[in-house]
Amino acid sequence: MAGFLKVLFRNLLEGPSTDPFPLVPETFTPDRLRGRVVVDADLCMGCGICKYVCVAGAINITKREDSHTITIWHNACCRCAACRQYCPMKAISLVPDWHSAHPQEEKYHVLEQKTIPYQPCAVCGKMMRTVPSATLKKLYVNNHDVDLEHVRSICPSCRQLEDARRSAGLPPAAPEAPAVEQ
Amino acid sequence: MSISTYTMPLGPVHVALEEPVYFHLTVEGEDIKNVELTSGHVHRGMERMAMQRTLVKNVTLTERVCSLCSNSHSFTYSMVVENALNLAIPERAKYLRVMAEEIKRVASHLFNTAIQAHIAGFKSLFMHVMEVREVVQDIKETVYGNRMNLASNCIGGVKCDVTNELLDYIMKQLEVLEPQTDELYDIFQTNHIMLTRTKGLGLLPTEDALALGVVGPVARGSGIARDVRRDSPYAAYPDLEFDVITEPGCCVHSRTMVRLREIKESIKLIRQCCDKMPEGPVCVHMGKIPVNEAFAHSEAPRGEVSYYIRTNGTDIPSRLKWRVPSYMNWKALSVMMKGAQIAEVALVLNSIDPCVSCTER
Repeated sequence: MAGFLKVLFRNLLEGPSTDPFPLVPETFTPDRLRGRVVVDADLCMGCGICKYVCVAGAINITKREDSHTITIWHNACCRCAACRQYCPMKAISLVPDWHSAHPQEEKYHVLEQKTIPYQPCAVCGKMMRTVPSATLKKLYVNNHDVDLEHVRSICPSCRQLEDARRSAGLPPAAPEAPAVEQ
Repeated sequence: MSISTYTMPLGPVHVALEEPVYFHLTVEGEDIKNVELTSGHVHRGMERMAMQRTLVKNVTLTERVCSLCSNSHSFTYSMVVENALNLAIPERAKYLRVMAEEIKRVASHLFNTAIQAHIAGFKSLFMHVMEVREVVQDIKETVYGNRMNLASNCIGGVKCDVTNELLDYIMKQLEVLEPQTDELYDIFQTNHIMLTRTKGLGLLPTEDALALGVVGPVARGSGIARDVRRDSPYAAYPDLEFDVITEPGCCVHSRTMVRLREIKESIKLIRQCCDKMPEGPVCVHMGKIPVNEAFAHSEAPRGEVSYYIRTNGTDIPSRLKWRVPSYMNWKALSVMMKGAQIAEVALVLNSIDPCVSCTER
């Protein structure tokens, strides 16, 4: 019994080991706490791998002609961080914000929703998702002669054509040239 | 059935834990003569669900089979998929997996020990053990980001790399934890209330334990040195030093003692992982899914958990089957409870650390 009496006296001296939350503004919240999913709209390419790996079915991606929208429903999300793991662009992260209480009426509106607008291709005018500059820099790390801003402004098919023209020694297509049939 | 015996139903709600088991006890006065179990109250059809989801999604699904041994399920599931895909995981991932597994084991054993004190009616000791467990909960929250589901494993390695600063943090927390577990060991070894309630109760003689094929701390509490980590080493366990704890008592008390001593072994294992942690990548890509079948097993906090998978070349498995330790252990309850009193049912039940949600899944 003496063993436990020691514990009791120590507890009396040291006081409670819990935080008096909500009387104090913050409580123990480590940086890596998986609280809420956020999407970086600058990086999301809308590839849909996050939707493929999400076991909770909390992610949806709607694609339109001129934009795509990624929606994450926080109430369905189980914070397994699979989307963060598999996102090739590292566009998804989890922030340590655990303040997720909300009224019942708002349950369908507690979302992380980002709409990413597309840009027209400088050559053919087709709407496309521009690749983030940082990603292009990584992709073309060994090709110093490529003008990244130019590559960024044209769509993948025009990029292929331009590459073919360059290989064949032809001049690049003018911006106002009609779209080439594929 | 003679005139002096009658059948008493017990459960299914809250017999020891907040999990349903239904006992039909044949009692004579206060003494239990026979025990029959009814189960299946929390069947969720998880094996069927796993066969409708992709291999990647099932990592998260299997982690939710059970709360206390959640990491063991995703760990063993990842291993079985890696076996089916002939995937070799990086060295660093092996150590990180073992570390997460041992952290979960410490928390699980402390939880069971706390509930043991709670059922014995020693509420202050219950609170104290839970407070000690908070040290481990803080590790889980700080390193992995959640207090229960670590979401650490993925097919091909681990999702969650642990930085050197966090390894230092874990070492620092273990310094806090270790003297407290030593103190707990002394309390459980010498405390009059705990000894009176648990010593010599719920006897499972070694022969019966062998015949019933019990696993985990229940087997080791009956003197059988059975541990998957040593008997068929996996992940980083072959490189690590630890002892398989056994107690000869065969009673509720000796099973508690096995758990408390195993915490010390787990602390030793986590320390070795922190010291030996190799550098390098933590995950490899999955690659092509062949038509194959595979098996994997590991030592969860409650004993051996084993997974079987059959793949058909698509990303959805055609069969996923697992067997959990409580399935083997709860048959032993009929032996343990015979001769005990009705008031001791909860203590005996808790001594096998039952996980009903795993078993009925």
